Amino acid sequence: MGKYNQYVQIGEPEAPNAGFEPAMIEMAQKNERVLLVLEDMGGPGLKWFTQNAPNRIIECGVAEANAAVICGGLASEGFIPVAHSFDFALLARAYNQIRQSILVDRFNVKLVGRGGAWGDTGISHNYVETLGFMRCMPNLVILSVADAVEAKKAFIAMMQYIGPVFIRQEAGPVPPKIYTEDYPFQLGKAYSIKDGKDATIIATGLMVGTAIKAEEILEKEGLDVGILDISTLKPLDEDAIIKASVETGAIVTAENGITIGGLGEGVAAVLCENAPCPMVQFGVQDEFSQSGKDSDDRGKLAVHFALTPEDLAVSVREAIAKKK
Amino acid sequence: MAANEKLIQELRDKYVTVLRNMFELLDNSLSGHTGGSMSMLDIIIALYFHHLKLNPPDYDWPERDRVVLSKAHCCEAIYSVLVEIGYVSRESLKGYNEYRETFQGHADRWATPGMDYSGGSLGQGLSFACGLAMAEKLKTEMNPPVSEIPQFLPRLKTKHNPAYRTFCILGDGECNEGQVWEAAMFANKYKLDNLIAIVDYNKFSLDGPTEEIMPMAPFAEKWAAFGWWVKEINGHDMAEILNTLELANNLYGDGKPKCIIAHTVKGHGIPSWEETHVHLARGIGVEVGVAEGRKIYG
Repeated sequence: MGKYNQYVQIGEPEAPNAGFEPAMIEMAQKNERVLLVLEDMGGPGLKWFTQNAPNRIIECGVAEANAAVICGGLASEGFIPVAHSFDFALLARAYNQIRQSILVDRFNVKLVGRGGAWGDTGISHNYVETLGFMRCMPNLVILSVADAVEAKKAFIAMMQYIGPVFIRQEAGPVPPKIYTEDYPFQLGKAYSIKDGKDATIIATGLMVGTAIKAEEILEKEGLDVGILDISTLKPLDEDAIIKASVETGAIVTAENGITIGGLGEGVAAVLCENAPCPMVQFGVQDEFSQSGKDSDDRGKLAVHFALTPEDLAVSVREAIAKKK
Repeated sequence: MAANEKLIQELRDKYVTVLRNMFELLDNSLSGHTGGSMSMLDIIIALYFHHLKLNPPDYDWPERDRVVLSKAHCCEAIYSVLVEIGYVSRESLKGYNEYRETFQGHADRWATPGMDYSGGSLGQGLSFACGLAMAEKLKTEMNPPVSEIPQFLPRLKTKHNPAYRTFCILGDGECNEGQVWEAAMFANKYKLDNLIAIVDYNKFSLDGPTEEIMPMAPFAEKWAAFGWWVKEINGHDMAEILNTLELANNLYGDGKPKCIIAHTVKGHGIPSWEETHVHLARGIGVEVGVAEGRKIYG
């Protein structure tokens, strides 16, 4: 147990994406209405579909706008299409299509989008601005996962939910395994990995791993810092955010992306309206990303964007200092 | 059933009834997309009052033929039909384009019983129709029909009926959108012979003649090059419309999506609308046209 809450056991590094594949296969086996819609960029469970249900692979080629609307049509007839690509293609290229032909009618379409600051793909592909343009969309649930256990459970919850969902898939530094297998993921609920007294880091996705390392640094300085994992980015768990503010009096949000329109601004809005307290938004500032194959969270790109655990510790100290 | 004089006369009567509904709709709203609605009206009448497999008033009947109005701004023509076939109450004609009313400014699936697609952002309807047609193929493959599918309205007999067919009505200006051609490729790839696209080729979009705005000739050849069965018709000749729909239907099983290019006249049947090729009519333009229409059609 130690300092962490139930269901948390920090383990060896493991890519969160590893959780998508088994979850997709499990859901596809259970329900023949689950379809894999491809945009010439692969997708979760592709090998299983190829071997077991090739007719349930809908390959749309490099035509993402068309693919998004086809997902809407398929969902309108009761299928559950799961589409996958990079954020720029899956979401940005097909933005209006997703709005008009999926979200307006709340079609049961699942979007698995790859983005974030890291990746060996450069400025065109490493989308840090996704949350800003997706969080404002009505009828959409947005998920972001911290480790492979959460990834699997969030993916299954996404498939069981009836309605459109976008789940984030991040490349970059591999975070430690965080949760035990019996972790009870709940759609729309944040999970407190560790309670604190002096401040709370409200993190999402890859940054939850960074938050765990930052907390270790601050613990040595005698600070008691909480960590809240926001796995549902929309709708935000306002109760958990308000509780963190009331209990610790200082908040630092942490995200792998631009804070404008992202977790940072989302949490800031909740705090301003309900429980104002000193806060710092930690994430990419107003800047596009670039290539960066960092395998650990202290690599060149992390240093460039000031996204290392040490940087996060600085932000937490800053927030605590603002309390006085 | 081949198109005969009696049927054509019946549909002509329906045309006038539907037109009266449309005038009532416009009386109360004084705005709409009258030019494009009039150009496709003959086709709509042929579909809803003869060719489509429907089971009114059950607008959600699983085996109904699907209609995707991709040129969703011309919804007033469909609205006038939906009232006539009993999906929607006549009262709704009074609330066109008003807050919380059944008839919204663009086709809206949840507001209007009988609309299969919420459109308005052009170029997406054919993709959506591809999704519906693909779903029919998958569903039939997963659960093959045990007996012949019942036919409720007079309809042509086919060898192997699809559970439902999908019709998509496009505008010609809309075909400037690249996504239309992405969908055209998709339909060809998946051999969606249960999909029938009808282009209301009325030669005008908002800024002017489509061939000036963005030349698309040779138009029919483009569809053919994308692997579609194509037929060009006079979109105001009821016999030709009916015969072509029948022809396209009887080709089901050939693995080809169908495209009917209907040459039409914008604002057809209303002199002042024809003259101005009016796309978006508001205020006095609507009043004048409706008054002309009432003189002609009663």
